Amino acid sequence: MIEIFTSPVVLGLIVIGTTLGIAVGAVPGLTGTMLIALALPLTYAMKPVQALVLLVSMYVGAVSGGLISATLLRMPGTPAAIMTTLDGYPMAQAGKPGRALGLGVGASLVGGLVSWFVLWLLAEPMADWSTLLGPFEYFSLVFLAMALLAGVGDSTRAKGLLAGTLGVLAAMPGSHPATGELRWTFGITSMNAGFQLIPVLIGLFAIGKILTDIGTKETKAEESDSHDSSFIPFKHWLPHWRNLIRSSGIGTVIGVLPGVGANIGSLAAYAAARRSSKEPEKFGHGSEEGIIASEAANNATVGGALIPLISLGMPGSVITAVLLGALVLHGLQPGPLLFRQNPEAINAIIGTMLIANVVMFLIMVIGARWIAKLSAVPRVILSPLVVLSCLWGAYALSGRWFDVFVMIGFGFLGWLMEHLKIPLAPFVIGFVLAPVAEENLCAGLMASGGSYLPLLARPVSLAFIVLAVFLLARKENNHKKLRISS
Amino acid sequence: MRKAFKVPVYSSLLNLFMAKASPTQALIGLCLALIPLSGSCDDFPSRPITVIVPFNAGGGSDIFTRIFQKAIRENNLSPHPLVVENQGGAGGTIGSRITKDAPPDGHIIMCLHDGIYTAQHYGNADWGPDDFEPIAATGRSGVVIAVAEDSEYISLAALMAEAKERPYELVFGTNLGAPNHYSALFVQNGKPGSKFRFTQTGGGSNRLNQLIGGHVDVTGFSVAEYAQYKEAGIRALAVLSEEREPALPDLPTALEQGVDATHSLMQFWWAPKGTPRERVDYIADVLGQAMKTPYVQERLSYLQIEPIFLTGEALKAKVTERGDRLNAITIETTPPLPPLHWIILSLTIIFTVWVWREDNHKETV
Repeated sequence: MIEIFTSPVVLGLIVIGTTLGIAVGAVPGLTGTMLIALALPLTYAMKPVQALVLLVSMYVGAVSGGLISATLLRMPGTPAAIMTTLDGYPMAQAGKPGRALGLGVGASLVGGLVSWFVLWLLAEPMADWSTLLGPFEYFSLVFLAMALLAGVGDSTRAKGLLAGTLGVLAAMPGSHPATGELRWTFGITSMNAGFQLIPVLIGLFAIGKILTDIGTKETKAEESDSHDSSFIPFKHWLPHWRNLIRSSGIGTVIGVLPGVGANIGSLAAYAAARRSSKEPEKFGHGSEEGIIASEAANNATVGGALIPLISLGMPGSVITAVLLGALVLHGLQPGPLLFRQNPEAINAIIGTMLIANVVMFLIMVIGARWIAKLSAVPRVILSPLVVLSCLWGAYALSGRWFDVFVMIGFGFLGWLMEHLKIPLAPFVIGFVLAPVAEENLCAGLMASGGSYLPLLARPVSLAFIVLAVFLLARKENNHKKLRISS
Repeated sequence: MRKAFKVPVYSSLLNLFMAKASPTQALIGLCLALIPLSGSCDDFPSRPITVIVPFNAGGGSDIFTRIFQKAIRENNLSPHPLVVENQGGAGGTIGSRITKDAPPDGHIIMCLHDGIYTAQHYGNADWGPDDFEPIAATGRSGVVIAVAEDSEYISLAALMAEAKERPYELVFGTNLGAPNHYSALFVQNGKPGSKFRFTQTGGGSNRLNQLIGGHVDVTGFSVAEYAQYKEAGIRALAVLSEEREPALPDLPTALEQGVDATHSLMQFWWAPKGTPRERVDYIADVLGQAMKTPYVQERLSYLQIEPIFLTGEALKAKVTERGDRLNAITIETTPPLPPLHWIILSLTIIFTVWVWREDNHKETV
């Protein structure tokens, strides 16, 4: 593993990727998904290992950067940092912005390292285990993932389900994943391969976001001006070790679950920390525990989300869905074989996750205040730049104007969904997993001679389906849900 | 004419992003692509020749094509470089359709293996080899039939006897409609009375996982894939070549085991129908020279591809012969598959109504 990371190019990519990630994380209006979707076409020119190093660094950076603007400006740069805003900003207002940042950055590092360790420990055994999953199990697993998506998050179950099925629907045109038959192409040759992931993603997330922003007023940053040290002595960390470990653990586990990202991870860890805190009344008014829980957990989701990605080829978040696209573009198929045939790709992902967390820590400690200034760049400058790179990104995929039109179309869809408060994450996961589910279901049916019985007769498949049905049938409890908008 | 002018510009741009050529080279390519076609056949090629690979970058066909691209560039075998353009998707039919519809002036060609036959035969494309001018065949890969290491079948003969005794019970993992599927069909036809249940298992690495996990009983791999995957816990029963493969001298052929089946994967280069003969011959000649370079020889041997080279009449005969052999095969229908797209459309409508009612309800409360 070490050989990869002695290359100056690779180290340079980690620094660039992490820095860019932190920057988009800190700037409201730019998101990690946007950055990674736009960077993907750029990585065509790179070796697979370099591409993965860059994209994973961006992922780590983007989850972390939101902390800065959340604490100093009361603007969460990413949904992942919403919970940090609750305590980081009051603490900064109370004259301790440095300490708030220091705690957040340190907790981010710990969260990243804990989840890295779990990733390093579990990815390979999980991959070996995955060969036991046959076509029917894969179908049931996707079904379970979709049920999970509908049940969690910040919108109602009906909206979650609608978003998921819309995503699956968008994956339907083109050639049938099992038989290659064409359907719903309306006689347009460009439709034969269906809608491509990149234009769909860039459209939904970048164009959609810009369209949404046009209709809203730009929020004014409220900067706190006192300066104190970001350095937190080790003995100040000691009382927090339980919180650190618990929050990192919650973040990692939530990261593994499909469709629920860093924002839910930090929300869950925050709630758990408040429940077990000796001073729950301080939460929301500058509690150190609150900052630590939120930041440790949101960084921990990264390692968690990478586990099913590299062992099963099942993306757990929007960003890992893009990473899956990157792997496939570079001719790498996730699963047990990847460990055997392309260990360098696995090492690149796992190693980058470790190094990028350390790099993130250093950059944030040194440059947090400077990065906060980025958030002041007005949208008038930012938005056109983003639109230009979107157009380029969609076109560069394979030099087809069709992809650009697809991107614009999905941009409007993203705007509409945002407007109607229909979540985007289930859409993307549904879009990515639909071909997997369909190919596996059809493969299973061909092997069973057309019988659906194995779906319920095979124990693992049955377990997935029972769990999914349970999740779908469970009573919805809206009142307990903390609402967060993204 | 507009299209003829635009496509190479795309591909040069694409090449820039792919950076398989250096940026300067791609830039030169871009400039050259912008010079209008000057007409006369004598100065063919007047700009880079675009080779469409109808599969994604990084796959077997892509790697194969780029070996020739590199050899031609580094040995200055042509005044203009080849530009590889990946047009993947739909089992290679997207790229082959683009090539078929391209202007037949020799500046857009395609590298595609036996998939050009199988897509037509399986019904995924309504065009086939007859809609192209074959330029050359530049390689042949052997195909092996393999089972999991702990499988009870010790030979192809034993497996086929079982498939005859218990028809439609053994599951054969294939990539439906691709040459891999037809290898399996040739094996089944090679032993009258034997019947397999064919299932869709996709590309090589998926087939390996399914075989190891016990989800399929048997599947096919190229010799190169088998060499790569052997350690993972699989065992070859037979090779479908006429003679044993040099790389696997201990592996008997299907013919030796009383199964009358031969198949292999041949790599062909195609030009759109109506491309002038002398331009086809020119490209064939360049490919022939590339074939002789140590680089191509070494790379093909590494990939376990036999360096055959066919052009002209020999190629035409081969193309016809392979087509005729395939036409002798009939495909049995698969079990009825669920119309998932209609199910999902119905679900979407149901959920839309649900969300709409929920929102209305909220407003009235």
